Amino acid sequence: MTIVVAYKWAPNPQDAAVGSDGSVDFSRAKSAISEYDPVAFELARQVADATGAEVVGVTVGDASIDTSLARKAALSRGLDRLVIVADDRLAGADSTRLAAVLAAVVRGIGDVDLVLAGESSVDVTEGQVAMTLAGQLGWLGLNAVSSVSATDGGYAIERDVPSGTASMVLTGPAVLAATTDAVLSRVPGMKDILGAAKKPVEVLSLDMLDVSSAQVTLTAVSASRPAAGNRQRVIIDGSDPTAAAAELVGALRAAKVL
Amino acid sequence: MTSDAAGPDFDVVVVGAGIAGSVTAYRLAERGLSVVLIERGDVPGSKNLSGGVLYGRVLETVFPHYLNEAPVERRITRHVTTFLNADSAVSLDYSADGLAEPGNAVTVLRAKFDPWLAGKAEEAGAFLMPGVRVDSLLTGPGLDGATTVVGVRAGDDELRARVVVAADGVNSFLASSVGLRQKQPTNHLAVGVKAVIRLPRADIESRFGVSGDRGAAHAIVGDCTLGIGGGGFIYTNTESLSLGVVLRLDDLLRSGHTAIEVFEHFTQHPGLQQYLHGGELIEYGSHLVAEGGYPMVGEVAMNGMLVAGESAGLAINSGLTVRGMDLAIGSAIAASDAVVEAVAAGDTSKAGLAGYRRRLDESFVMQDMRTSARAPKFLERNRMYGPYGELIADVLQNAFSLDGTPREHLLNVARHALRRSPLTLRQLISDGWAGVRAL
Ligand SMILES: Cc1cc2nc3c(=O)[nH]c(=O)nc-3n(C[C@H](O)[C@H](O)[C@H](O)COP(=O)(O)OP(=O)(O)OC[C@H]3O[C@@H](n4cnc5c(N)ncnc54)[C@H](O)[C@@H]3O)c2cc1C
Repeated sequence: MTIVVAYKWAPNPQDAAVGSDGSVDFSRAKSAISEYDPVAFELARQVADATGAEVVGVTVGDASIDTSLARKAALSRGLDRLVIVADDRLAGADSTRLAAVLAAVVRGIGDVDLVLAGESSVDVTEGQVAMTLAGQLGWLGLNAVSSVSATDGGYAIERDVPSGTASMVLTGPAVLAATTDAVLSRVPGMKDILGAAKKPVEVLSLDMLDVSSAQVTLTAVSASRPAAGNRQRVIIDGSDPTAAAAELVGALRAAKVL
Repeated sequence: MTSDAAGPDFDVVVVGAGIAGSVTAYRLAERGLSVVLIERGDVPGSKNLSGGVLYGRVLETVFPHYLNEAPVERRITRHVTTFLNADSAVSLDYSADGLAEPGNAVTVLRAKFDPWLAGKAEEAGAFLMPGVRVDSLLTGPGLDGATTVVGVRAGDDELRARVVVAADGVNSFLASSVGLRQKQPTNHLAVGVKAVIRLPRADIESRFGVSGDRGAAHAIVGDCTLGIGGGGFIYTNTESLSLGVVLRLDDLLRSGHTAIEVFEHFTQHPGLQQYLHGGELIEYGSHLVAEGGYPMVGEVAMNGMLVAGESAGLAINSGLTVRGMDLAIGSAIAASDAVVEAVAAGDTSKAGLAGYRRRLDESFVMQDMRTSARAPKFLERNRMYGPYGELIADVLQNAFSLDGTPREHLLNVARHALRRSPLTLRQLISDGWAGVRAL
């Protein structure tokens, strides 16, 4: 059996600059494994250690996602091997297209019964790829997954739902998107990174893949920032802590918060 | 790869993929040694501040065509030194196109330059290991009974090597952990606050009087540091400026100001707005600079370990220029040659690695450290940072403000100005002499 970790090599929002008009500039941002994805690596490793499955990392994107740094970053997080599609025709691809390419890769690997992914990517934050991938594959898709463990012939799953936690068991192939705190992910150590360099990497060409193409185009028209809310813009001078605390209490009382 | 007693994991562990570490790793890998280059930043350069002026001739001895290959910003053909007062400024402008060939000094941004350099080491065969912070050295007793470094530890993992090269920068805790470096007195350290601001290319070229790939380096002393020992700088990159202040730590502490306050005073100084206005801040940070000069360089080798770059105290602050990157490269050349020699001879003890210090002493690195040995003392003369600029401005004010009264001979003007200034003629001569000897 094989477990796939679908992850994104994404620009780090910490390096992004937000312009005065609210536009976000990622041009100076360095890329890394999208911050919400390490949980998926960790869950996959834990399940595989229990079942003896193989863990394969899959990532797709433009040519810049295939560097030695990017390979080591992924392979040092418990993968057995890595499959990459790095093609500039995927630059700026939307979530549907990325999911379609991922689906083609998963089909090509065969023998996969579980795909794990993060909740969303840090840069786009739409949270669509995992569920679209499930649809493309015709598999079950579940998001908000907070726990996965192997059972006889399937998996036991917990989900965060508005009313609390739901437990369920699953047989048959599925795509699961994990919550950011589903599990504590390990930071790769020196041996993990050295080991990463010895693991196999397969680079697939987009042309070799059987990617379904939906005849839909989506064009962004505009985007606006959320309303600023009813801010009072009161700044309290904190040089005298006692006076500042009293003033804060006074201001909160006046605003009928206390 | 195992780290049992059987043998080392690598010939050499280099800690820190800054300038010194990457050049060392490159030269060792080129010569066929197995090398791991460990860097705590997720990407080399991500922990290193903005950059500055690289006096790059020495890099040509390692990468003859680096100017065409490396991400360098501009070739410096114009050096401007400004004495800045609250409401006046006196500048000395030295420009020569000859400075561009073959590239005496260039500006670099470390966020781009360090990954390039580390990439070179990786291409040559070094194993680049980013995202790992070395926590401690592995040590054991050497044949001579003295402590021997046998590897490094990070988290739960250990890596063993014949030689560890500590290139972990000015705060080198690796060197101090084995007693190679003592805690530095505050007058051996300066605090640098640096920023990069984005500015359109056309604005840079018109404001600084440069074009094409040519650039300017401005050194500024006086009111811009609120009179605190140190200075400010503005360097032109392709589409941004690197700027900041370097402040003597002891003087800063004495002044009661914070480095940030001084930095803000600098960036808002009316005398500098012609260069800075409209710039958009894109990077900002603060860092220590070693400026103890020659006395700060102590032991650079021990059994199983060398210390290179600024972790060995190799940096020079002449008051007008801060140099560290070129010395880091020079020390990396010396360190890698010495390691190759020691590994080949099968003796990586302190004696086996003695070739490092000898090469350092013979190279420009120690010669320049010695030449500038007096610079730190010179910089401790506080009048450099206030009264001088005012004195010169006063003289020029008299010379240039023609108000109808008969002109005095400039020497007389200077004499009167000096009388009004808190400086004495003796201080002037003494500082002048100290300056000539220091620079
Ligand atoms: C404000 C300011 C202005 C300056 N301007 C100039 C200038 O214009 N020209 C010039 O030549 N020099 C300048 N310098 C000095 C120059 O930056 C340094 O001398 C130079 O960077 C030293 O190089 P290095 O390789 O020794 O150390 P660094 O460049 O500091 O590299 C050390 C590396 O080690 C890594 N590291 C540290 N500890 C660990 C650890 N435990 N585990 C793993 N990795 C670790 C760090 O992340 C870093 O990448 C300036 C310095 C300052 C602060």
